[in-house]
Amino acid sequence: MIDLFHNLALGFSVAVSPINLLLCLVGALVGTLVGVLPGIGTIATVAMLLPITFGLPPVGALIMLAGIYYGAQYGGSTTSILVNIPGEATSVVTTLDGFQMAKQGRAGPALAIAAIGSFFAGCTATVLIAVLGAPLTSLALAFGPAEYFSLMVLGLIFAVVLAKGSVLKAIAMIVFGLLLSMVGSDIETGASRMAFNIPELADGLGFATVAMGVFGFAEIIRNLDAGSEMDRELVQQKITGLMPTRKDLVDSAPAILRGTVLGSILGILPGGGAVIASFAAYTLEKKIAKDPSRFGRGAIEGVAAPESANNAAAQTSFIPLLTLGIPPNAVMALMVGAMTIHGIVPGPQVMQKQPELVWGMIASMWIGNLMLIIINLPLVGIWVRLLRVPYRLMFPSIVVFCAIGIYSINNTPVDVVLAGAFGLVGYWLIKHDFEPAPLLLGMVLGPLMEENLRRALLISRGDWSVFVTRPLSAGLMAVAAGLLVLAILPTLRRKRDEVFVESEG
Amino acid sequence: MTSDTSSEQPVNSILPKWIRAPQDFFGGIALIAIAVFALWASSDLQGMHGFSFGAGTVPRMFALLLLGLGAAVTVMGLTADGPQLATYHWRGPLFVSLAILAFAISIRPLGLVFSGLASFLIAALGTPETRWTETIIVGVCLTIGCALLFPYVLGLPMPLFPRFLVQ
Repeated sequence: MIDLFHNLALGFSVAVSPINLLLCLVGALVGTLVGVLPGIGTIATVAMLLPITFGLPPVGALIMLAGIYYGAQYGGSTTSILVNIPGEATSVVTTLDGFQMAKQGRAGPALAIAAIGSFFAGCTATVLIAVLGAPLTSLALAFGPAEYFSLMVLGLIFAVVLAKGSVLKAIAMIVFGLLLSMVGSDIETGASRMAFNIPELADGLGFATVAMGVFGFAEIIRNLDAGSEMDRELVQQKITGLMPTRKDLVDSAPAILRGTVLGSILGILPGGGAVIASFAAYTLEKKIAKDPSRFGRGAIEGVAAPESANNAAAQTSFIPLLTLGIPPNAVMALMVGAMTIHGIVPGPQVMQKQPELVWGMIASMWIGNLMLIIINLPLVGIWVRLLRVPYRLMFPSIVVFCAIGIYSINNTPVDVVLAGAFGLVGYWLIKHDFEPAPLLLGMVLGPLMEENLRRALLISRGDWSVFVTRPLSAGLMAVAAGLLVLAILPTLRRKRDEVFVESEG
Repeated sequence: MTSDTSSEQPVNSILPKWIRAPQDFFGGIALIAIAVFALWASSDLQGMHGFSFGAGTVPRMFALLLLGLGAAVTVMGLTADGPQLATYHWRGPLFVSLAILAFAISIRPLGLVFSGLASFLIAALGTPETRWTETIIVGVCLTIGCALLFPYVLGLPMPLFPRFLVQ
């Protein structure tokens, strides 16, 4: 317990230094700004803004990236409520009741409740990370290569089970990602694999490059297909009375609490994440409500629960990354990329060797959430005005910005071409209803999986049964197998499709 | 690695009836093609020696797995009804790709200011809605912004002006 306070104190002492406060603020603001723009999801936002953190010291870079991440979530909910356009997949459900509230002239309370819910969830999640960090880290030290491999299998299976659409196609995308991660040098022998003597491929395909291609460029190309039919039904009347009434607060308090709990749990699970959390929280609220018909007509619980849940999940998904070194979703995978660029290998060692890095980032999340709640409510007007920027001007800007960003990572033009190629691949994937998110997760976990697989088999002298004879590993494998069976069972799948039918990413 | 199979885009009516879900069917075939390509590309790598893995073992394992999954997706396309092929458009993909390509080619010799603006204008061709006056104004502003942001504010080294002007 004393450790906990000591750690948090260390974190806050790092996070409140003027430069880190500024970076946190800038990250949160820029994240919100990009999050507000429809057509750029969280993953693309983080990928796009990754290069701007390169020149910073590692702590500052991570603080800024974390800020971008939850800022993007926050921006997404603002547009959901005001214009019925979810800026991010995580706030798709928020549109259902949030926009209805806005139409009834209650946009102010809706925004305020979303902010309060997010803030509460953020605080809870921060404490949770601090509490769970140390024990999970010691657990991680007990993990051998076999356990790591099994854990990653479990994570990938989770990602499949929770993704929308066909289980088979999601698995195929993961394996495609794993295969892509094999390009480059072999970790043990240094042999060049599938690189075709292209020097730029010797280090493998850049993760940010692929992410920018399949999420950034592909998204733009697809939006161009749709043309200008995107209807933007702006709520024109002035937003008055930001503060929710007493009744609003009483109504939404339990919903915020439930959303936070649900979101925290789903965030920790590998493969889970903010999108699923918000859907699950909304579904739960609707199920336990006395009068479910209120939902979809401006029920404040319908805003409070998913917004708390997605924020909680966004933050607790840092737990597996920081303690085990395993990114549970695509955004965390990008964080791994950012850490690697700064020479940090995420995992249990980081917590022990660079505590100021980890705790500084955790503390900054709390500060960042506080900043968002204070800054964003007065800025709502500006965000709304941003939505009036037509797409015909926005998309060439994004293209150029992304191109410069990718170029700046390694100063290699080939990376830009590769990102463009992956943009076309991503466009093709969308057209064939393949989800790109599992592909990215596979790509990040690929090298880790290979390394641990090889090590495990080397230790066991080629005996494949290690994965089922070591108890921890066997347990993880059993859960993975069980989940997969459940996912493939057709009856369950139909239900699952109903729940996640609107989910993206 | 390019799985751009847009050649299968045209009219759906020419597809035989036994393909019940063209989206899955062609998607699966493309995955098989990728897997076969990866198998071929990693065929020169060392395989297992004793119980220790060679450089090519894991890539081939994943490729075989993808081969199997691709086959399964293809079979699904034959056994279950599914969506038709989505329609592809040429304008967006073409000009966005061209803009990216133009940027990649010109950034080194011409510098950020020229390649950024050129790439912006090419990308703008991607939609028929572009109005040129405003596009040029926004493009110039964005280029100036990026020319200040990346090299100066963020300290990322990149050429700003054409080589022959600087020298």
